Amino acid sequence: MCGACGFPSRPGHWTEAGTTNPADRLRLRYMRLALINRLLKPYGLSAMDNGAVAGYQLMAQGGRRVLCQDLEKLWQEAAKLAGEAIDPLSPRALADA
Amino acid sequence: MCKISDSFNRKETGGKKTGSNGRLPLTIVSGFLGAGKSTWLRHQLHEGCFSHSYVVVNEAADIPVDNLLLHKAEHVTLLTGGCGCCQNREALRDILRHLCQLYDEARQSLTSSSNYNDEQFPLAQNVPASFAQIVLETSGLASPGNIAALIEQDPLLVRRLTIDNVIVLLDAVHGRAQLETETLVRTQIEAATRLVITKASNLAEQELARLGASLRQLNPIAEIEAAEFGENFALPSFSNALPFILPRLSSTDIPITSLCLDIREGGGDWAGLSVWLSALLAARGDDIIRVKGVVATPTGRLLLQSVRHIVQPPEILPEIDLTRDMTRDPATHGSASIDAATDDHLILLGRGLDEARIRHSWRRFTLS
Repeated sequence: MCGACGFPSRPGHWTEAGTTNPADRLRLRYMRLALINRLLKPYGLSAMDNGAVAGYQLMAQGGRRVLCQDLEKLWQEAAKLAGEAIDPLSPRALADA
Repeated sequence: MCKISDSFNRKETGGKKTGSNGRLPLTIVSGFLGAGKSTWLRHQLHEGCFSHSYVVVNEAADIPVDNLLLHKAEHVTLLTGGCGCCQNREALRDILRHLCQLYDEARQSLTSSSNYNDEQFPLAQNVPASFAQIVLETSGLASPGNIAALIEQDPLLVRRLTIDNVIVLLDAVHGRAQLETETLVRTQIEAATRLVITKASNLAEQELARLGASLRQLNPIAEIEAAEFGENFALPSFSNALPFILPRLSSTDIPITSLCLDIREGGGDWAGLSVWLSALLAARGDDIIRVKGVVATPTGRLLLQSVRHIVQPPEILPEIDLTRDMTRDPATHGSASIDAATDDHLILLGRGLDEARIRHSWRRFTLS
């Protein structure tokens, strides 16, 4: 279990494959963050990754924050906050910015 | 249908294990009630297929019969009195956990011996009494997707097992009627990587071809073959055959289609793919029946596979040595070239896939 965030140990989410060393892992997290925010923006949400805690901080307008240990959890929590699934194929997601 | 899918199938079912990251391979043999699962499996075992396997037989009924057919198996465990994908789910989970434990104990005893060499794995080559894979014959009422979910949701099994193949059998005689009326049969067929039409000699050649064409329509990428008492049966060409017109059945009324995304096109990569696909499966996991693809990552080539919204832990594939393959067979470029051509492509199978919208979404959310 991580002492900072309390997440229990579990097998990594499939999206965490593809890296073997901490530098690659961190680089991948930062590369993903911009893309995650691109998907969250139409739903009024955003995510932050400060590199210190194990996971993404999901933020809603109004200040509510949820710590999510992987992308699966992030999309689940984002759907709760948005009141609908974060669907990359939805008209809302694909509407012109 | 995407042309590269055949080479993905070859990669899966060619009998060569490409390395499962130390996990125990699991083959699911499924099919509706009376499809002939045990008969087919008995013959495969007799022929030496699934060697060094531990066979788990699940019967929905309380009184077992199927295990009697499987005396050729080296190890058999029987699970009766309920389907392992739903009402007997916990019992199936316990059996699979126990097998993982047995496998680990045997491996530990092997590694503690002085002459152990790690390259000598798989285990069964060194310890004849043990096993190197699990074959699960499901009950006729099971959905392979539920079994994949059972494994994915269990913290032990997800680390120790990898689903190697999903083989689904369909009775040639009753197949058409079952396809017309049983949602479960269509669900089983959609989840398959390999489809076997059993009791094939009982059907006229033309009808057999139509059945094959119907299966191809339901599952655009699975291998399709026929069998009679477990032996291979020549399946007539069905590429020009007319599929049966299947009525709409509640949730399975929209036909499955496939599309192929070129991950590298426009500069896409693993970071973009993983974000986009995880969001897509979270939102539309019920519509996306299957995802397959090989993608380049900093670690190496990853084989991605999903059944419904459950993505298996990606398997690291060996790197391709194109130069060696070119030397061996410059005319055809050999299998390494086929592997290279299939890399960085993602195949999506699902219902109601709007190809234009998916490609638009892919470009918008994965490319910089």
